[in-house]
Amino acid sequence: MLAYFGRRLLLIIPTFIGVTLMVFTLTRFVPGGPVERMISEMQMQSMEGGRASQQGNQTLSDDQIAELNAYYGLDKPILVAYWEWLNKLVRFDLGESTRYYEPVWDMISERLPVSVFYGFWTFIISYLVSIPLGVLKALRHGSRVDNATSVAVFMGYALPNYVVGVFLITIFSFHMDWFPMGGFTSDDFDDFTLVQQILDIAHHAVLPMICYIIGDFAILTMTMKNNLLENLAADYVKTAIAKGLPFKQAVKKHALRNSLIPIASHLGNVVSVFVAGSFLIEVVFNIDGIGLLGYESIMERDYPVVMGILAISSLLLMLGNVLSDVCVALVDPRVKFGS
Amino acid sequence: MKLDPLTKKKIRRFRSIKRSYYSFIILSTLILLASVAELFVNNKALVVSYQGSLYFPTYSAVRTGQFFGEDYEYEANYRELKQKFDEADEGNWVLMPIVPWNPYEQDFNGEAYPPNAPSLESRHFLGTDESGRDVLARLIYGFRIAIWFAVLTLAICYTIGVLVGCLMGYLGGKFDLVMQRIIEVWSMVPFLYVIMIMVSIIQPSFFLFVLINVLFGWIGITWYMRTMTYKEKAREYVMAAKAQGAGTWRVITKHILPNTMVMIVTLAPFGIVTNITMLTALDYLGLGLVPPTPSWGDLLQQGKSNLNAWWIMSSVVGAIVTVLTMVTFIGEGVREAFDPKKHTRYT
Repeated sequence: MLAYFGRRLLLIIPTFIGVTLMVFTLTRFVPGGPVERMISEMQMQSMEGGRASQQGNQTLSDDQIAELNAYYGLDKPILVAYWEWLNKLVRFDLGESTRYYEPVWDMISERLPVSVFYGFWTFIISYLVSIPLGVLKALRHGSRVDNATSVAVFMGYALPNYVVGVFLITIFSFHMDWFPMGGFTSDDFDDFTLVQQILDIAHHAVLPMICYIIGDFAILTMTMKNNLLENLAADYVKTAIAKGLPFKQAVKKHALRNSLIPIASHLGNVVSVFVAGSFLIEVVFNIDGIGLLGYESIMERDYPVVMGILAISSLLLMLGNVLSDVCVALVDPRVKFGS
Repeated sequence: MKLDPLTKKKIRRFRSIKRSYYSFIILSTLILLASVAELFVNNKALVVSYQGSLYFPTYSAVRTGQFFGEDYEYEANYRELKQKFDEADEGNWVLMPIVPWNPYEQDFNGEAYPPNAPSLESRHFLGTDESGRDVLARLIYGFRIAIWFAVLTLAICYTIGVLVGCLMGYLGGKFDLVMQRIIEVWSMVPFLYVIMIMVSIIQPSFFLFVLINVLFGWIGITWYMRTMTYKEKAREYVMAAKAQGAGTWRVITKHILPNTMVMIVTLAPFGIVTNITMLTALDYLGLGLVPPTPSWGDLLQQGKSNLNAWWIMSSVVGAIVTVLTMVTFIGEGVREAFDPKKHTRYT
């Protein structure tokens, strides 16, 4: 089993290279890279200066362009450039943003706490709500409580979380003015006392948190419910009851434990949620996390940042998958991976 | 088409789940109506009676204003024509659709600067958006595009996914192994991210957009089909068919596929939800279909930036909630009807 997970961990490397190489190649074919942007910016400036007509469209000489291309490493073939990127990555150097001239690593680590904050709390709250609710729904299958919550759960599942976000902002921020329109903290956050700061973050977090939870919540609750139902109908539970075990005990001692197994396979996703989260929610609520950074860097063609985020998030996603399987193997002694 | 008793039973079971059955009927009606939206929402008249003869401009060739005795040579403005005919009272008349606006048309005739609130008088039943275009018209045409995008993407994804998945499960061996690795790498690619990069480079047309989304959408069903085929392959009926000399293609299409249909039917509604959500999200970010195309994502974006114009936000959110919830209900119903597992209950 250990060998199996070792192999799984090693397999991350070729997959990682496959994924990053693909996106790296894609970004190379893209018009509007840093050099082109610079040229157009200079054109704008010279237009404002009113001397554009004499100099024509080109404000940079070919030599200068070549120099800039060399500076950004754009003159090298894709594979060579990719190899260099990979080499730097191993030394935890993600390069420099072509837009803000800041190290990508700093830009990411600056925003990481925000994404981790949301990831962590989403995880805690959705598990705390979904598992009991799933159990309740399974035990009262077909009852009024079950039907009523089903409709709610399905709607939560059907609705994209960012649509819920936009809707919540309209109602609770704009019309009722109960919550801020977005952002992670208030502008004068630094002047607050600690208690005020905590309250401020919580105040900003309510609406986005609802959006984050809503999607997870439906899947977790339904998984929990269906598994428990299935286990309740299984022969071993029937046997236990036939032998005189009270129903409550049968649920607690037998069915519940087995129903938690599939939930365990969900645990690994948590790792990726920490970082990837939902960038749409960050965009809607203007939360300065990794998601918003990724979106902006794509829109601004800031490819070192794009690559950096891709590298980190895909690595975490793959680790999360392996972790999911480890969790399942830990909870369920019947699972024997790799044998 | 003759249905076998089992399928009939499944359909009967689906019909007995009221929530799903009614959703199915309502949604089908909506899709049908949207397919002929030109008859309800259009700036072209349904019928024009001019000098004793009838014209049907909705689906006929473009008729100029001159044709109807006006002094301009571009396409006739049927709304003005209607007014003129009504005032002149010479026996000519124009029958306009319920919403006499098309989704691209900008209406600046209102007293205020757009977005304008809903008004019965101007026949903007859900108001106008920030460029003065009718919200209801854009909602309906946006629905039509979204649903066809979702269905088309799903159909292509499933064709590829079912074929590849079946072959992987049935052939096994090297083909399976190689495809597994490809799928593993492919499914690790953050597809929304890549689609965003691709779309920010090229402004795709509808079909190109479908293709880009297919590129990343076929994996899910492949994985399911592979497992299903693996299971079915080991069953006696497949062995019997093989023993009687049926070839690979025949075994897959005639024997395995009908028995794995359940999976496809069950997953399809959820696939539709995913596709609609994706299109709306990309449109919301401005990375979807080319701008003037009516779309829900675009309306959502406008609603967010014009929070005062409550009619934009409430109509688009209402539409998204209604349609997606109905599709999910249908999906749940299908799942329940096709999955014969009945749970024992204790009280």
